[in-house]
Amino acid sequence: MLLALIIFYVVTLVYSAITERFRHYAMLIGLQGWLLLGVALLRLHGIDWLELSFVLVETLVFKAVVMPAMLFAIIRRTGINRVHARSVAVFNQLILSFAALLCSVIVTYYMADSRIDMVFFGVALYALLSGMLLIVSHKRIFSHLVGFLVIENGVFLFSMAIGVEMPFLINIAILLDILMSVLMLGLFVGKIGSRLHDLNADTLTTIKD
Amino acid sequence: MMLLYLLTALFLAACAGFARSCRAVRSVVSVFFGVQLLFALWLVAGGRTDATSSVFFTFDRLGMLFFVLMTVVSSTAFFQSSRYLDAENLHEHKVYKISLMLLCASASAVYFANNVAVTWIFLEATTLCTAGLVYHRRDERSLEATWKYIFVCSTGIAVAYLGILLLGTVAVGGDMSYRSLSEGVLTGNPLYLKIAFLFILVGYSCKMELFPLYTIGVDANFAAPTPASAVISTVLVNAGFVSVFRVYRLVAPSPVGEWASQVLVIAGVLSVLVGAVFLRRTNNYKRLLSYSTVENMGIVAIGLGIGGAGVFAALFHATAHTFIKSGLFFCMAQVGKTYGNYRINRIGDYIRINRVGAATILLGSVSLLAFPPSALFISEVMIFKQIVLDGKWWLLAVTVLSLCFVMYSLFSRVLQLCFRPSGKSCESAFKASPVFAWTGFALIAVSSLIGVLQPEALVSFIREIVTF
Repeated sequence: MLLALIIFYVVTLVYSAITERFRHYAMLIGLQGWLLLGVALLRLHGIDWLELSFVLVETLVFKAVVMPAMLFAIIRRTGINRVHARSVAVFNQLILSFAALLCSVIVTYYMADSRIDMVFFGVALYALLSGMLLIVSHKRIFSHLVGFLVIENGVFLFSMAIGVEMPFLINIAILLDILMSVLMLGLFVGKIGSRLHDLNADTLTTIKD
Repeated sequence: MMLLYLLTALFLAACAGFARSCRAVRSVVSVFFGVQLLFALWLVAGGRTDATSSVFFTFDRLGMLFFVLMTVVSSTAFFQSSRYLDAENLHEHKVYKISLMLLCASASAVYFANNVAVTWIFLEATTLCTAGLVYHRRDERSLEATWKYIFVCSTGIAVAYLGILLLGTVAVGGDMSYRSLSEGVLTGNPLYLKIAFLFILVGYSCKMELFPLYTIGVDANFAAPTPASAVISTVLVNAGFVSVFRVYRLVAPSPVGEWASQVLVIAGVLSVLVGAVFLRRTNNYKRLLSYSTVENMGIVAIGLGIGGAGVFAALFHATAHTFIKSGLFFCMAQVGKTYGNYRINRIGDYIRINRVGAATILLGSVSLLAFPPSALFISEVMIFKQIVLDGKWWLLAVTVLSLCFVMYSLFSRVLQLCFRPSGKSCESAFKASPVFAWTGFALIAVSSLIGVLQPEALVSFIREIVTF
């Protein structure tokens, strides 16, 4: 069951590389939230119930509900619903995504050790690379935001790889989630959306040398 | 005690939030800086070295040194800000002063944290506080700088967290304190330790203004009000330095210590190169000072990386840099107020408008370029001596060449500011106060005095920090 959830999670990462609609990105982030909830439930059932409930509530509330809702709110508010026409072509994105997957598998195989769950490590690394690909290959700030959320989900997954012994570390990952995502999404919804009408990364280049 | 200090900061921030006048905000924040000063005196005079406080904090020498420096710089910045912020409404006053106060509280927690995860938490908190300072102007430029700052810092901090997770694989019984980890790293998987160090260095480089994530620090300094830039360039940069230093001290005795040193040297050299290139390219005096911070942090990283006397020199350099850079930023605040901008190609003849201010900027630049009697001269000579002793001639050549570029770029720009005829009268009606120039002068003079006298108390204090 755990493996099935992880595989499904990988599929969402591949799909995020080829989709062009912002609504799909928001849905994928929401879906990843639900998948991470399932993974947390299955992976961390052995830890203290209080800590487990904190992790589950956070995953449910923030990752599965609040973040996708805020992304949908941004789409409604800005009226922009597709990636920029000059972004990297879908086929090339797919190639890059598979290259990232291959790279993750190789690095994971090379790093094999009993102290870290290798499946979690490999998928987390793939999530990290996928998020970075989204950031560097897209021109719209919204895609960058989604890229950061993908990275963050990867970090959360990785924290669960070694978090069974150290729930304290998972709580810190949650702190990162809450503080930064809400701050970033809040800034986006409250300020950037209304000030910068054309939400391209190009509009954020007035500060330079 | 540390918990009490943090709770006091939060309580006073809440009080300032409910204040109904700028004067009330100022009074509340003055109380905070008074408390901070008392705390610093309590630490220094009370002989509480290495005492543990609230489980997660230890008043060690490293933390104490940078806490005292922060107290000096942040208090000066606070009093400068009161005059600098003359057109702000109550809300803007509140956000600025509360952010400044909480930034100092978070940085203090970073200085004293004895646990790698706690360091990370408070370093993350500084992002939040700095964002409040960077967004102060509320125009598109500050919005862009804030967005970039939060985005890149969050990504960097997430990467650093991955490093901490990997470091967690050597934790004994889930204990993430530096003391516990120092035992675990000796037997840890070298590959994990290498990746952990790399991730943590990359993540924290956004705070230390070091290659590769140095850019957002420069943008933040550019967009924030100048007294706040003085704090970001010193207090926050030092917080990043302390965090990197603690992790480096952790891995130095391990099998990957040599590798970590090389990584630090590479990051340092690249930072010095970036500083040298962009000091020439930039057309803004605040960015000029920010790139100088990148260059100086590069020298600090090289010092740490080469080891030996270089580690002492790195700490000495960071200490002196704090005084000089904050002094220069405080003087630059007057330049901005006088001309209404910081454009290098548009302003000049500052010596005619503000003699003391211009003379202080000249003196500060000479100190920043490590000419005697600057304390930076001592630290750079020590670093070069260590490089020669190690026989790393390529490193010496690259660093010296880059520093020549830095000297030319920085000093020619400062000479332009002071002496180049500005053509038409471009200054505003602002009357520069000599008090602020003298404050900057005092800070720069302290650095020169440290260089000339090399007080035994300070030297032995730093020597005890670097003994590991």
